[in-house]
Amino acid sequence: MTFSWSQAVAWLPVLPLAAAALVPIVAQRNARAAGGFTFVVTLLTAALAVALTIRLVAEGPLTVHLGGWVAPYGIELRFDRLGAWSAPLATFFALVVPFAWRYLEGSVPRERWAAFYALMLLNLGGLIGFSLTVDLFNLFLAMEVVSISSYALVAVAGRGTAAWAALKYLLLGSVSSLLVLFAVALLFALTGSLNLFDVAARLAASEPSPAATLALASLAVAFVVKAALFPLHVWLPDAHAIAPSPVSAVLSGLVVKIGIVGLVRVMQLAGESGIALDVFSELLMLLGAVAIVMGAFLAIFQDDIKLMLAYSTISNIGYIVLGLGLAVPFAVSGALVHVFNHALIKVTLFLAAGSIIHQTGLRTLTDLRGVGRTLPQTCAAMTLGAMAIVGLPPTAGFISKWYIGLGAFSAGRVAYGFALVFGALFVFIYYVRMLNTFYFQRATREEVVAAVEPPWSMRGPVIALAAACLIVGLFGGILLAFITPAVGELLAAMGS
Amino acid sequence: MVLFGVDVDYLAFVVLFCVGLYMLVRKSNLLKKLLGLNVMETAVFAFLVTAGMIEGADPPIRTAGTGPLFANPIPHAMVLTGIVVAVSVTAVALALIVQIHAHYGTIEVDELKGLP
Repeated sequence: MTFSWSQAVAWLPVLPLAAAALVPIVAQRNARAAGGFTFVVTLLTAALAVALTIRLVAEGPLTVHLGGWVAPYGIELRFDRLGAWSAPLATFFALVVPFAWRYLEGSVPRERWAAFYALMLLNLGGLIGFSLTVDLFNLFLAMEVVSISSYALVAVAGRGTAAWAALKYLLLGSVSSLLVLFAVALLFALTGSLNLFDVAARLAASEPSPAATLALASLAVAFVVKAALFPLHVWLPDAHAIAPSPVSAVLSGLVVKIGIVGLVRVMQLAGESGIALDVFSELLMLLGAVAIVMGAFLAIFQDDIKLMLAYSTISNIGYIVLGLGLAVPFAVSGALVHVFNHALIKVTLFLAAGSIIHQTGLRTLTDLRGVGRTLPQTCAAMTLGAMAIVGLPPTAGFISKWYIGLGAFSAGRVAYGFALVFGALFVFIYYVRMLNTFYFQRATREEVVAAVEPPWSMRGPVIALAAACLIVGLFGGILLAFITPAVGELLAAMGS
Repeated sequence: MVLFGVDVDYLAFVVLFCVGLYMLVRKSNLLKKLLGLNVMETAVFAFLVTAGMIEGADPPIRTAGTGPLFANPIPHAMVLTGIVVAVSVTAVALALIVQIHAHYGTIEVDELKGLP
């Protein structure tokens, strides 16, 4: 069989999904080997995705029709500049999995390790599938693979509190999934097609119908729940804080982004079919601005470091949604780059916080006073991540927030520009508070004084990620240049 | 079927969906909430199946003497897949409810709220 690039696109989601089924078999022999196996699979997936991205830049996007059925009848996967999101997805998993090897020993019972690694691979496969597919029903299926594995991952550490947080997440998540299915059914009933671009073309050719608007609205609401945008964020803090730290990193950095990718798909669908998005954009901007301020404000009052990071995710989703809602080139580019930057920063922060919790057994700021002196490397990584999330130049968070801000002012939305600045101010307050307790207060707990740096399998990924926060910040222009053509296409379709 | 200008199929679907949503939001018992979710799922599936219906058409199996109109089989395939997804969600939810009951000794939301 000869190698073809389009087959490689189909393998990208299939590889982790198929490997997930094999994890329990490997774990039967040796629970530790399952971790190694999972790592190799994520590494292979990442290598494949990076190779595809390099090819994408050189030769342009790839489409593959599963089973050889041509679109619009067959299922179409598309590896374009938005689908290239799968490369960072797989890379982050390849860093989180080795971190989990040792972390699990302290927090997850041994008989659940196989389930943990299998669920991680399912999650990765679903996330990649979601970012590649152009078929609406497959979009729903990939979303459900991601969601169900996420519910289970929240509860994987056992104990009733985790199960309760997972169930709250499940009940809200399922309603939003159901809205997506309803919207897909409605669009299918209207147009008789499931391919996103074919649906859009058929809608554009037919009379404008309120049913199409209803379908788009329910898709938008569903993805807003998945993205945990402010008033619909209630499920997020508990689920993200209670889950084991590698899971928190994946949920907060990567899984909430399916809501954002979904919103971009709604914008594509609406743009191509000529449905006006004015009300939708206004609402996104307003909610985004409220989320920026409220998320950051609520984070200030958290004593638990993981809960604080979870609220900071709500604030950062606000930035991205505000950028998308503004619908001007600067802001949308900034928002899409921030999808990547926030993922990088949040994975760094959650893994660093996980190291601190793993080494000391403590998780509140009050208890962790003075931990900067006993865990210098981990806390340095945490500091770098904190600087990046505040958006201080030259770290990763700066360029994307700067572009969203520029977009707000260039669109004449000065009030939203100020919301952004106020949000950054609150973020600054809570990270200064964190750094103050880590470095400038006397340790009050024995565990903090006795703590030692974590093993290299945990320390390595954290340091690599923290270094990436700095390097990506220095070369942020490359990301912007990469995503700009996709933004141009998106905005051209929306006619603005 | 159309009665008094309203498509009864769609009306039934909307009513069923709202009943499910009411149960999910208002009931305090976690099992009842889950049942509400299942009722909502059934409503969406019913809508999807009716979307594939064609008046006076044969089942989409081609043998001698069938046609020329066939019902659209794609929604049926979608509903089957959707049912599998719904069963998985229900299974995960039930497993979680068992764990919650083992840990807290209750599955009533208003009692769970006060507990740590």
